[in-house]
Amino acid sequence: MADQDLVVETVRDILTGFEPFVLTAERRWDSGLWSALADAGLTGVGLPEEAGGSGGELADAVAIVRTLAAGAAAVPVAEQLLVALPALLVADLELPSPELPTTFAIGDAVSVHPVDNGDGPGRFTLSGTVPNVAWAGAAQHVVVLAPAPSGVTGAVLALVDASSLPAGDGFNLAGEPRGTLVLDQVGTSGALLTAAQASEVRARFALARSVQLAAALERVLDWTVQYAGERHQFGRPLGKFQAIQMELAEMAGEVVAVTALVDAAVQALDRGSPDVVLAAAAAKVRAGAAVEVVARLAHQVHGAIGFTQEHKLHHLTRRLWSWRDEAGSELVWSRVLASGLLADGGDGLWPALTRIV
Amino acid sequence: MSNSLSLAPAPRSEAAEQVRAEVREFLAAELAAGTFRTHVDTWLSGVDPDFSRKLGERGWLGMTWPKEYGGHERTAMERYAVTEELLAAGAPVAAHWIADRQSGPNLLRYGTEKQRQEILPRIARGECYFVIGMSEPDSGSDLASIRTKATRNESGDWVVNGAKVWTSNAHESHYGIVLVRTSPADPASRHAGLSQLLIDLSLPGITVNPIRILDGGHHFNEVVFEDVVVPGDMLLGTEGDGWHQVTAELAFERSGPERFLSTYPLLAEFGRRVVDTGDPAQLVALGRLSARALALRQMSLRIAAALDRGELPNIPAALVKDVGTTFEADVIDEVRRVVDVTPSLDSPDPLARALAEAQLHQPGFTLRGGTNEILRGIVARGLGLR
Repeated sequence: MADQDLVVETVRDILTGFEPFVLTAERRWDSGLWSALADAGLTGVGLPEEAGGSGGELADAVAIVRTLAAGAAAVPVAEQLLVALPALLVADLELPSPELPTTFAIGDAVSVHPVDNGDGPGRFTLSGTVPNVAWAGAAQHVVVLAPAPSGVTGAVLALVDASSLPAGDGFNLAGEPRGTLVLDQVGTSGALLTAAQASEVRARFALARSVQLAAALERVLDWTVQYAGERHQFGRPLGKFQAIQMELAEMAGEVVAVTALVDAAVQALDRGSPDVVLAAAAAKVRAGAAVEVVARLAHQVHGAIGFTQEHKLHHLTRRLWSWRDEAGSELVWSRVLASGLLADGGDGLWPALTRIV
Repeated sequence: MSNSLSLAPAPRSEAAEQVRAEVREFLAAELAAGTFRTHVDTWLSGVDPDFSRKLGERGWLGMTWPKEYGGHERTAMERYAVTEELLAAGAPVAAHWIADRQSGPNLLRYGTEKQRQEILPRIARGECYFVIGMSEPDSGSDLASIRTKATRNESGDWVVNGAKVWTSNAHESHYGIVLVRTSPADPASRHAGLSQLLIDLSLPGITVNPIRILDGGHHFNEVVFEDVVVPGDMLLGTEGDGWHQVTAELAFERSGPERFLSTYPLLAEFGRRVVDTGDPAQLVALGRLSARALALRQMSLRIAAALDRGELPNIPAALVKDVGTTFEADVIDEVRRVVDVTPSLDSPDPLARALAEAQLHQPGFTLRGGTNEILRGIVARGLGLR
């Protein structure tokens, strides 16, 4: 990943000026950080320049998302760089400016009607509510994945201008906005996706959260190792006690496992693997499962101070507990993964396990 | 995260996928011909010299070794594909497993030219099997406390006295690489004074006593050495450097797919059951277990790629073995939670049989090759804690 060192350094430099803070309804995102990232062209990385992006590879975008996630940055970069804008490219729709935040949401309960029947990208009217819209109230646009109009197979990807729409308040366990978007005959540009394309967009969303989880899990391990070295009890650092060492080693095992699988799933996406949905499913399940162990042990080692907002630990553990259930929980993606692995019958399990990543 | 724990992603290997397909075809034919039956944990329990020779004929043993020693100069990634296919099929690979995985590379690294010329081609043909002589009745995790002693006699040969335990399949093997004390224990330097000897197990004075494991199977042994005279040139490597040499083997010993696939045949049977029942809870359990297996594969593949780069990533290997062997045991419990089946070694139901085999082998998974407590201590060192 050495190729991404420069972009990671750039993001880290910017982050030094923007410490994580406790998100509230009044201060629901870090608009200053977003501006700094956008000014540096980082909110368009991984998107072709001819489409208005900054160029660069998927690996660069992933590196940016990882660095921001580890820094508990309150900006919709994962949604924009890994899901919303790439989905628009898949749908052959025009991208909004990457300098304005665009988020992504799944609107399974939205009803969609075509406005015209012309070829290619068209216009649709959308009605219904979209729950769990990440960064509602902050994002200018929401890319909504909605069911196709009745009688049409596949799905519709629509670009909704959210700036003038009412967004109901809602927050995840970390205080990140997860509002409800109410659509009442809203006209938007959009395009039909095949069922396979729609599945891949959902998988991208799960993979984006998996990348964030992997980065945050790793940083929580780092913080906990560091704390165990600094905190003295009984005359020695906590990290000198075997009981603590066993816990930290268990955390490390989870982190290394998640990183290995998430990296492999990102590579599957990058090479256009036909198994990307299963790869992303596996990554999300594995990353989600690690949260229980890593967050629990991190808090145990940090003791009472880690249970307060006085200490930074909560910025990441509350995000871990939130992200594992967003974009599909382990329950949801386990079903997808197992069904896909067994698609060729019971004897097909091993060939599938050795194929998908 | 500490650099000592993280490894670069493994590149995809077309050569590995090609040999994987060949192995799969071979295994399907062997299963159809009834030359073996699938079992759990066959790298301990599945001794079948005929099968080992067949693998040798096809060039699937000694794969990474130089051709001049009977090897095939292929990559660790290709070897990885071969070994994981064999394990997933529950094929009888125990006879040659230790020799191919560990003793051969050890001889390549430390053996004399004569030892390499004589022994390595036989291992690669699937004809020569090895045991690891490390643990003793009074020395388990505390390996440096071993007491088996080797002293030089006046003709320069080694005279060995002591006993080694848990020597898998010593009764079917030809050689042992045995860790011995060649100078008295020094409390100030616990790891000094140890050496590795290459010992022909047919020498006079060696007694092999069976130690039966929980299912009654005879795989383990106690190997007793009473005034065994080992030729002086059978010292492996450097006298007094045994601890260092043992440590160098560990990346091979601890990182392979056998550290998370010992119970794969149970998972495979579970998969077939899920297809039959369509039970939603079983489907979810299979998904969760599969995600863990997929992560472990990537971890293990990264180590194979590191071996191809000439690295010996001992700390990541310890981590793979900790996470992997925990998974091997968890498969049993996860399956039990969602399938109502009574484990039985003689059941006509393959799932019941696999569960029984897995359960009775389970305590070994997190002990052999270094207990998980020892492994976590190594990982803690990698984290900079000790």
